[in-house]
Amino acid sequence: MTLADTSFRPGELEVREDGTGNLIGSRCNSCGAHFFPVRRACSGCLSADLETVALSTEGTLYTFSIVRQSLPNFEVPYALGYVDLPEGLRIMGQIGGCELDEIRIGMAMVLSLEPFGQDQHHNPLTGYRFTPVEAQDD
Amino acid sequence: MTDVFVVGVGMTRFGKHPDSDATELGAEALLEAIADAGIDPRVIEAAYCGHVFQGMVTGQRILAQVGLAGLPLANVENACSSGATAIREASLAIRAGEHDVVVAIGTEHLTNQFQGALTPDPSDPEAAVGATMPSIYAMRARRYMEEFGMTREQLALIPVKNKSNAARNPLAHFRKAITVEDVLQSRPIADPLNLHDCSPVTDGAAAVIVMSDKAAKRYGKGRAIRLAASSLRTGSVDVVPTSMTFEPLTANTAADAYERAGIGPEDVDFCEVHDCFSIAEVLRVEGLGLFAQGEYPAAVERGEANINGRLPVNPSGGLLGKGHPLGGTGVAQVVEVVRQLRGEVGDRQIEGPRVGVAHCRGGKAVGIEGAACTVQILVR
Ligand SMILES: [Zn+2]
Repeated sequence: MTLADTSFRPGELEVREDGTGNLIGSRCNSCGAHFFPVRRACSGCLSADLETVALSTEGTLYTFSIVRQSLPNFEVPYALGYVDLPEGLRIMGQIGGCELDEIRIGMAMVLSLEPFGQDQHHNPLTGYRFTPVEAQDD
Repeated sequence: MTDVFVVGVGMTRFGKHPDSDATELGAEALLEAIADAGIDPRVIEAAYCGHVFQGMVTGQRILAQVGLAGLPLANVENACSSGATAIREASLAIRAGEHDVVVAIGTEHLTNQFQGALTPDPSDPEAAVGATMPSIYAMRARRYMEEFGMTREQLALIPVKNKSNAARNPLAHFRKAITVEDVLQSRPIADPLNLHDCSPVTDGAAAVIVMSDKAAKRYGKGRAIRLAASSLRTGSVDVVPTSMTFEPLTANTAADAYERAGIGPEDVDFCEVHDCFSIAEVLRVEGLGLFAQGEYPAAVERGEANINGRLPVNPSGGLLGKGHPLGGTGVAQVVEVVRQLRGEVGDRQIEGPRVGVAHCRGGKAVGIEGAACTVQILVR
């Protein structure tokens, strides 16, 4: 599957030409706290010395839901979840790569780049989902 | 510093009002509050109007409609806490000594604007990946079930209780009691939440008139209810992810309100809380410290939150039963608390309450626990 190299949210998701990518956040150089999306100052210590960093692509599923009613641009049903990253961040994303009834709290998840809608000129965009780590091994 | 009293209250029927709008509804609620206070409208010195989607200067349109002009007025937006924030602003104007009689209005006409689920603002990164308000609460419900063993049937008892209360409230959106089976059989929205777990899209408005000591003595005729605290907080930015099964924002706002009122959760006789979804009532009541974390679902099962229970929750029917016209919601909660404390609500009357709490919270922005939370404490 070829992916567009245009991110659906360039300030939040970096997409590289080789089809890999990562979410973009901030790290506080004063106290080490991480934030998503990018912030101007740290809410832990109020330092403005923040650095923009690539976030981890693996984490643990904290909770999830199967969404059965949504906005017209989202095809239902889809799974939505919160994934806890090792930096201490909880990131929302759709869940793919497995059947809806296989999803469990506590699963190991990995960020996966996938086609995600179109821009206003109908060019394809690339977004992200989280998929179970096990599904990647198949 | 003067105390603050609620002297007049009014609200429209909540529900679908296809032939009305936010201005008409707001004017109807305001006129009722003025009549209830028994005052000449000319004694009103200032006004605050809470709404979310009604466009600019909605408050001015309402005042023009009832012939009041030339007053200081501000429109207030704070998501689902907009109306409650308007009451807080009115109470601050009185505590500051600037005014003696101030009106707070909350209004919203939603049925011409929305059909399905509300979503966070489209610019929000979570909205961009498909978050809806029901799905966020559904995820909280699933996590709560995992951590505390709440069953789906226990969760269903909350809409059952609130719609049973609403059936006794002539101003409620829903007037029909339902069963657990009805909840479980209703249309799935975001697992595990079904349609009956979600508050409806509602039109409605409410208004309260608040006064200083001096004005309440003159106009209150012994019916004034003291607004002992009106606290507001914004969620803090998560430095580490906070639990989604407990609400520090609700707890922090409540702590401020209890301290200002000089009471504790053990003194509360009943409450109206922001049950935008069934699970939300659990999180709010536990955040307010009225039940220990993890214990509320079983308490509901034992009937403790019923109108005749140990600590009635949402006797008006709550957002699930009475309806949820965003800006109108927070003001209508205070209307219910005042009417309960006065003993005016007929067959949903709680026996002899002295202290009632109104809790509102709303709005979502990525990375913070919640956008705006209010806790108001009213004492007879
Ligand atoms: Zn810091």
